[in-house]
Amino acid sequence: MKKTVNLTINGRSVTAEVEPRTHLADFLRDDQRLTGTHLGCEHGVCGACTVIMDGEPVRSCINFAVACDGTDVRTIEDFDDDELMAHLRQAFTEEHGLQCGYCTPGMLIMARDIIARLPDADESRIRLELSGNLCRCTGYVGIVRAIRRVLAERKEVASV
Amino acid sequence: MSTKGIGARLTRKEDGRYMRGRGNFVGDMAMSGLKEVAFLRSPVAHAKIEGIEIPDAIRARVFHNADMKGVRPMRPAASLPGFKQSDFPALAADKVRYVGEMIAACVADTRAEAEDLVEQIIVDFDELPVLANIVDAQKPGATLIHEEWGDNVFVVTSRDDDIDAVAKTAPVKVTRTYDMARQTMNPMEGAGCLAYWDERMGQLVLYSSTQAPHLIRTGLAEHLELEQRQVRVIAPDVGGGFGYKCIMQPEELAVAWLAIKLGHPVRWVQDRREHLVACANSRQHHYQVTAYADEKGRILATDVEVTVDVGAYSVWPFTAVLEASMAGGNLAGPYGLEVCRYKTFSVATNKPPFIPYRGVARAGVCFATELTVDAIAREIGREPHEVRFENLVTPDMMPYTNILNKHLDSGDYPECLRRAVDGIGLEAVRERQAKGEEDGRMVGVGIGMFTEQTAHGTSVFSGFGIPLIPGFEQAKCRVTPDGGLEIYIGVHSHGQGMETTMAQVANEILGIDPDLITVVHGDTGSSPYSTGSYASRAAVMAGGAISRTCKVLAERLGIIGAHLLQCGHHEVEVRDGKVVGPRGEVSIADVAKIWYLNPDQLPDDADPGGLEATGGYKPKVDTGSFTYSAHAAVVAVDVEIGAVELLDYVVVEDCGTMINPLVVEGQTFGGTAQGIGTGLYEESPYDDNGQPLASTFMDYIMPGATEVPDIRMVHMETPSPYTDHGIKGAGETAAIAPAAAIANAVNDALRGLGAEINETPMSPRRVLAALAGARKAAE
Amino acid sequence: MKAAKFDYERPADLDGALRLLGGGGDVYAKVLAGGQSLGPMLNLRLAQPGLLVDVTRIPELTRVEDDGEALVLGACVTHAMIEDGKVPDVTGGALPSVAGAIAYRGVRNRGTIGGSVAHADPAADWPTALSALGAEAVVRGPSGSRTVPVSEFIVGVFETVMGEDEILEAIRIPKLSADARWGYYKVCRKPGEFADAIGAVLVDAEHSVHRLVIGATNAAPVTIADAAEVLGGNGVPGASFDLDAARRLVDGADTNLDDMERHIHAVALKRAVEQVAK
Repeated sequence: MKKTVNLTINGRSVTAEVEPRTHLADFLRDDQRLTGTHLGCEHGVCGACTVIMDGEPVRSCINFAVACDGTDVRTIEDFDDDELMAHLRQAFTEEHGLQCGYCTPGMLIMARDIIARLPDADESRIRLELSGNLCRCTGYVGIVRAIRRVLAERKEVASV
Repeated sequence: MSTKGIGARLTRKEDGRYMRGRGNFVGDMAMSGLKEVAFLRSPVAHAKIEGIEIPDAIRARVFHNADMKGVRPMRPAASLPGFKQSDFPALAADKVRYVGEMIAACVADTRAEAEDLVEQIIVDFDELPVLANIVDAQKPGATLIHEEWGDNVFVVTSRDDDIDAVAKTAPVKVTRTYDMARQTMNPMEGAGCLAYWDERMGQLVLYSSTQAPHLIRTGLAEHLELEQRQVRVIAPDVGGGFGYKCIMQPEELAVAWLAIKLGHPVRWVQDRREHLVACANSRQHHYQVTAYADEKGRILATDVEVTVDVGAYSVWPFTAVLEASMAGGNLAGPYGLEVCRYKTFSVATNKPPFIPYRGVARAGVCFATELTVDAIAREIGREPHEVRFENLVTPDMMPYTNILNKHLDSGDYPECLRRAVDGIGLEAVRERQAKGEEDGRMVGVGIGMFTEQTAHGTSVFSGFGIPLIPGFEQAKCRVTPDGGLEIYIGVHSHGQGMETTMAQVANEILGIDPDLITVVHGDTGSSPYSTGSYASRAAVMAGGAISRTCKVLAERLGIIGAHLLQCGHHEVEVRDGKVVGPRGEVSIADVAKIWYLNPDQLPDDADPGGLEATGGYKPKVDTGSFTYSAHAAVVAVDVEIGAVELLDYVVVEDCGTMINPLVVEGQTFGGTAQGIGTGLYEESPYDDNGQPLASTFMDYIMPGATEVPDIRMVHMETPSPYTDHGIKGAGETAAIAPAAAIANAVNDALRGLGAEINETPMSPRRVLAALAGARKAAE
Repeated sequence: MKAAKFDYERPADLDGALRLLGGGGDVYAKVLAGGQSLGPMLNLRLAQPGLLVDVTRIPELTRVEDDGEALVLGACVTHAMIEDGKVPDVTGGALPSVAGAIAYRGVRNRGTIGGSVAHADPAADWPTALSALGAEAVVRGPSGSRTVPVSEFIVGVFETVMGEDEILEAIRIPKLSADARWGYYKVCRKPGEFADAIGAVLVDAEHSVHRLVIGATNAAPVTIADAAEVLGGNGVPGASFDLDAARRLVDGADTNLDDMERHIHAVALKRAVEQVAK
């Protein structure tokens, strides 16, 4: 019943036997012990489980690990030394963009994608792009301000 | 003066681990031999259990009530006259009383396999009539949810002022019915717990996503018939609580029992569907209000009936009485009400039990009272804020004990309102309304005000007579041999930033840099007892306890420091992490090194208690310090489709001395967002069979970044006269007023159309129904 | 909330997929074409297939072709590819704007146009939008290919004309003329939510197309193929198409919507037409 998958996780080649019904988030958390990827709803709405797959944010709770064969997956744990993520972390802490920390990994991964993909996003666009990531603590105020700040600061650097 | 003490806008110490995905939540833990639990939950709302059929092959991995011999059902008492207790077993015994009630626990290597076991169990139900709402539950001859009660009412509370005289002469009378929907709390991490028996310590160890580890410990010990020393409860990182996690969950009791029974670790992690349908209900209030006022809008009397649909059972320890009885007690809000008659009913229905939710009862009360104020204003043709000014308690009245025995400690309520009116730009909104919108939407502005009794202690909770009453709070503080500080507190931080703010309080006294301070919380094995983080009490209570304890340490550090500085110990003071004398100074690190490692250099009068102390605290008046606030909202209503958009939102709040304004703002923004959910989006509807209709986030709409505006906050800061440092609570407050402020704004927008909406959430359907009703009335 | 057990196959080509779908005996096989709707249903155990046939890597299903008159998108082209303009747009912006408003980015990166159409959720965007655009579904079965207009492909909630042994291979989207006009209005509680009502309109006078679609009706989208007259005489939408006119169309359509729902659908339709009139 189990199937073999080969994929790259945080730069490592991983080969594993998985039950087809195991979703990617459980595979990352339970098999790979990468518990920074959180489960908030397991039906694709809350965004807490967002990871990067082949360069794009995806929901790891509604993608089955077996179907991710051959992909390149990056979880929050892989961004310790990422320059853009470091910038975001700085802004998130200064703007108080997190409280309990549970939605934060998914939120940061989505925020990083917004900044990389939409360097000219204004506040309403940021909010729209974030609408698939739920936070129950912050009211999004600090999160949106942090993303705006990083976008503005990067623009400033780029224009120098 | 320290720049990192009380009042500093310090960024949070706890952020780093979360942002790097290194938090440690219950679901993240790995343990040798760990098995996962899934629960079979009732698919029907009210039925006798005639039999449970479990295939032989899985019988050893499935447990139901009959297996749990010796485990007591939760049966919390309350001392309110006439209160009826309910037996709430962790796993249903002979009867189920709501959809989602647990019937059996299944244990397997993985959660998926445990769910496979659940599917193999067959339960034979003898279905009973379902009471899905307060009307049916109160009908004469209704089925009884708890047969021995005789009716379906947990408790009735009342106050019987004579209002007839006022009623006869009052020039203004408004009567309204208000409804607040049932909803769920939805911290992003649901509940969850992991338990095992520690043979070496002879202890049950339970890791739980809880706000109140000591409370859970007491509850588990009592219900499992263990001694309290045989139970240790640890709350690791907790992904939000909002009240849902301040009670003992039946799942905690079941998992703890399973761990003892099975002799290996077991874990249950709540999924979102369980949370939405079975676990986390609150807020369903129904009000009938008649208010009498004079021509200026001064309220002369109110006559209120409150009915709360509290579900099938009392939760331990806060019971089913909290919502309705607190609703009654908070009807005066920030106003100087003189005559009030009320009656509250806590009605049992076939729905999940009520659990305290951020802003307990007051979101409903604020909705009812603030909409009534606006209704009076419309009736007499004045601006709603002008009517509020007629009624607010003024600073010269402080401290003020209102007719409902709330002792308002301090503050300037009218100034708070003035700042809200200015902040939202009322005049500009009125001009905008006069011009009209290009897109045809209707704009409105509304205000909601409230007071929140925070950190109310023994004298208040003893009135409820519930099993566990908060009293003193303690902190244990230890200077480490290198001059750092460890603080042990019994409350738990799960988003409130206490790892930072509590370090700031210690810094205020000792001057030790917060970077060198560790706040240890959430472990009954290491911290002093605390009933937990709820009732906006942690900052006041733990903050006060830390402050007091650090003063004890400062004294002891001073004695040693003075000896080293060769001066009298009354000549030194402790500041900036140093003991400073008239002719020199010595760092706390140096003093600590000598205490721990070179006692040969200690003075004779050194306190043998050393650089570790446990101190306690209770405010000199423990009826609570009252935070107060005015919320103001501007909305645009699309009258064709009933959609409400928030255009602007301002919060003016006074929570006393702020330990950290950044954190206060975060609490305020988050609370406001939850209140926006209450006002516009969130609803857990049930059909007539007691079936929940919102079982996923596809049906239960949570506010996202597009639904919450960039909230603006204006601070006021009136220290409480009763608490150390003047701190008041700020955790729950902001969730209270948004539904009221938004409803008042919507009704302001719809005024010209004759429509009024008095229920939550103000969904497109409800807005359109209000408009249709107005059209019909006009015909 | 974990899925019940199922088996999983990832065939290399369409024939292999068809064999798996047709040859399972009593195994209930389901096509996985992105899984952004199926995944939640599996996790919730609302769907319990015995076998998932993952078709997302089949080259025929990810192809993008221009056949002269139409753009042919393999069923497994993702919403995000359409949103980002990684496939040609032959609709003057209609396709990317619809794609970009489906659910959330994380879902659009994996969800596919064919998966959405075959899932046949009336509240989803593609069934309504593609009906309005006059698109066709290319269906492959054991006995070959057939083409069905998307407006006839969906017959009810989660119901299509496809047999259990068939696969949706591609969507064929006709090229619009340069002055074609498109209107699309979705009513939902918040961005990313499934729609409460959708109104869609395509006016492509050069091709004599005046098409209205009433979507998200709790049933198959209602297509009004020849709307030239109701849109106002010569087919150029003007002020005559007001809320009452929209309401008459909604009332005339075969739906089981209540009065308030029909009102909201009428508003959506009216607002879609207003976009075209502008």
